[in-house]
Amino acid sequence: MLAEISQGKPLPSITKHITQEKINLYAEASGDFNPIHVDESFAAQTPLGGTIAHGMLILAYISEMMTLAFGQSWLSQGKLSVRFKAPARPGDILTVSGEIDSIEDRNGVSYANCSLECHNQRDEAIVTGQAVVRLLGGES
Amino acid sequence: MNVGYEGLTPGYEFPPASYELSASLISKYLKAVDSSSVEFVPPLAIAAYAMTAMAGSLSLPPGSIHVSQELEFFRLVPVGDVIDCQARVARKLTRGKLHMLVLELNVFDQNKEKVQSGKATVMLPALS
Repeated sequence: MLAEISQGKPLPSITKHITQEKINLYAEASGDFNPIHVDESFAAQTPLGGTIAHGMLILAYISEMMTLAFGQSWLSQGKLSVRFKAPARPGDILTVSGEIDSIEDRNGVSYANCSLECHNQRDEAIVTGQAVVRLLGGES
Repeated sequence: MNVGYEGLTPGYEFPPASYELSASLISKYLKAVDSSSVEFVPPLAIAAYAMTAMAGSLSLPPGSIHVSQELEFFRLVPVGDVIDCQARVARKLTRGKLHMLVLELNVFDQNKEKVQSGKATVMLPALS
């Protein structure tokens, strides 16, 4: 967890290598076998031109970063809002990062407002968004 | 019976689905997301199962993609809990040839306490 939660503090970034094997594993684990993720010949015929990772897999990486930063506060009192800007493809190396934009006090409770981003090795944004975490006692 | 895009109208409720978040299910999920063991169920695992439960009774064209997602978590969920997933169509949007569905999700535990809610926007490929 972050030792100090304050405005401007970067969140602990994480890097993940996307492979078709990982996409297939995620399909097995989640039960989402949409052919755009797992059928390379089908996906090649679509405007996307090939398979893409599940959006929920990318969000799992974002949630992992948030858990590293905020622990149980994130798991029990987190809020996430994201847009998928571009597909993540096999071979991509994704970096998930973020920053605490502000600490807000509402009715005596502290919330951390964070900006989030996931980008690939070409620095293209894959996911952008915001998260809010209600801070449990002793964190702010 | 699965329902297709044309049959979906705002307010349509999908059949509810239940999952036991067993140690083996969560272990498989953690391996897939490249993560290590955890004390509580990752909230994105719960969201993934809720989305899959809904998709199981949907018949969308292949190639439909996820364009945005909102999620809110309300409590810690221990491994072994049983969740009940409920979903409905919030909106149906058409912009030229683009068709989008906004789906609302709510997940409860075995004590009927809400553990998570969310909203997913899905874009469909051009419909013939």
